[in-house]
Amino acid sequence: MKLSSKLIYFITGSKIAVVLLFTALLPFLVASIASEYTNYSLKDQQKKVLKNISKNGIESYLQGDDNYGSYTMLKEEYISLQLERGPNEIDTIETVQRIVEQDTLSYRVLSYTFKNNGRKYLMEIGKTTGSINQYNKPLQRIALYVLLGLILLTIVADLIVTNVLVSPLKKIIYSKLINRKFPFKETALPVKTTTQDFKYLDQSLIALMEQINIDFEKEREFTANASHELMTPISILQTKMENLLADEGINETTAMSIIGMMKTLDRLKKISSSLLLISRIENEQFSKSDELYPLKLLNDIQEEIGHRTNEKGIQMNINLSGTMIIKQVNQGLMFQLFYNLINNAIKYNVPGGRIDITDHRDASGYEIKINDTGVGIAEEELQFIFDRFRKTNLSENAGYGLGLSIVKSIAIYHGIGLNVESKAGKGTVFSVKFYQV
Amino acid sequence: MKVLIVEDEKTLAYEMETFLKKAFYVCDLAHTVAKAADCIEENQYDFILIDLGLPDGDGLSLLPKAKKHNPDAAYIILTARGNLEDRIKGLDLGADDYLAKPFSLLELQSRMQAIARRRFNINEEAISLGDFTVNLQTRFICFDTQQIELSRKEFDLLSYLLLHKNRVLTRMQLSEHIWGTFADDDYDSNYIDAHIKNIRKKLGNLAPTDWLETVRGVGYRIRKS
Repeated sequence: MKLSSKLIYFITGSKIAVVLLFTALLPFLVASIASEYTNYSLKDQQKKVLKNISKNGIESYLQGDDNYGSYTMLKEEYISLQLERGPNEIDTIETVQRIVEQDTLSYRVLSYTFKNNGRKYLMEIGKTTGSINQYNKPLQRIALYVLLGLILLTIVADLIVTNVLVSPLKKIIYSKLINRKFPFKETALPVKTTTQDFKYLDQSLIALMEQINIDFEKEREFTANASHELMTPISILQTKMENLLADEGINETTAMSIIGMMKTLDRLKKISSSLLLISRIENEQFSKSDELYPLKLLNDIQEEIGHRTNEKGIQMNINLSGTMIIKQVNQGLMFQLFYNLINNAIKYNVPGGRIDITDHRDASGYEIKINDTGVGIAEEELQFIFDRFRKTNLSENAGYGLGLSIVKSIAIYHGIGLNVESKAGKGTVFSVKFYQV
Repeated sequence: MKVLIVEDEKTLAYEMETFLKKAFYVCDLAHTVAKAADCIEENQYDFILIDLGLPDGDGLSLLPKAKKHNPDAAYIILTARGNLEDRIKGLDLGADDYLAKPFSLLELQSRMQAIARRRFNINEEAISLGDFTVNLQTRFICFDTQQIELSRKEFDLLSYLLLHKNRVLTRMQLSEHIWGTFADDDYDSNYIDAHIKNIRKKLGNLAPTDWLETVRGVGYRIRKS
């Protein structure tokens, strides 16, 4: 998951949790606020009554009676004064049930005993809990709306800020990691950001890429230099031998040994140039802009290699679609790839054997199969056949183990699928699959 | 024909000179860009062979100036670098051909002759070969007025031998010319022998082919005065 998504999920999640918690607590909070407020107003009323009594005397309430009681019209509140004979001093606020004219009502009642003119009175001020809680619901609703509004506002603000903060990281990932293909030809531009961490990350990536580029250039230079250093002495030897051989004065024995030397030198030359070819393919020094007609290519190869199939009496059948075109490949490398595969199919075939070349097209791509009736490859050898200098079931003169390595690097360079199936003694099938056609 | 060999490997330059002298070319040697530039200013050459990696610079840098002083010369780039960019750059700068090291001297000479034929309009109309006449440009071989059908590779073989007449060419040299980088690494194979046999069969029906000699253990040669 992306960092920005994670942040957004976390922010939204935590806010939803806050809303849920607040919603769950809201009734209790509102109720407790209401009850606090009721207690406060009861006490306030108590003070007023006591003030009236001290100012006007208790008789202003009692008017000669022992008791005084007053209800509001809907019995939501009441005040009562009465003589208290009990010994206890009372000063409480509690919720109690009272029966008033056959109705049982729940009241919040302040009870308070006080002395006046040597007599002890009990004052009660009550308020129905119904009237206390009547504002709870609307209060809760308003509080919830305000909260939701605020939360939404902060979520929007958070999303914007998160996006702005994380955007340099996105740019770094896009410009340095996703969109870069090795080798890095042009130098990378630094991403603009004021976040120190991103700056550091970006600079490190640029430095890393530059280092890779330098190393890659060094390797390329090494390849070029090594080839130069190898090819020049080989050139000298070759020209010397050619001049020696051209000398009229030499006898047959000398000529034969010069030819022997030339053959050995030629082997050295072939190995060096095969290695160079592989390194050039790996360094992507070939363009991939050719169009390829597989049927024509295979026919050309058949003509080029015909002398070998003729010599071994091998029958080669090319059965390919005549209209197929493969785009964005290197013609020369493709020739080399199929040439090497067919050359192998001839080399490891039995005299009078067959090579069948067929194709198959479906939604996943276009596949060419080269099927030979040769000696096959043992199962334990199959995984090694594309390795450099690895020989399978061959005699001394059967190549230097680079043909299939070249095939493999060409396939990797073009993004071509390469598969081999074989049964020892039965033959081998090489499949070459083009995914983009 | 006058040739300037620009090559810093003195041994290689010397071997090229030895070989070309035998084919009656007159050679000058230059081991540096500076020396080559002097030679080019002072002389008119038919061929200038340029190695790319020289001690005091890149051989390619010689090309624009050289073309000014020697506009009629043919330029062949010789290099061990062998990468595509150099090749394109060289041909863009007006080089006529490009030969990757290590190259065979026979190949060098045959390229030079091909350029000479194209460039200097040396129109060897028909070369006589015993009772046959060969035209290398139109790729025909005739007996009297009768044209003989040779396969592409058979004609390549014959013309290469003819180009290097009186010189023994080994089977390896011949297959390298015909199959190039795809030449077989199975040196004792007899593909060349098979082709020669075919040529002899096709021509021998009409007239003797004793000018095409087998040199035992070595290879083949066309004898021609």
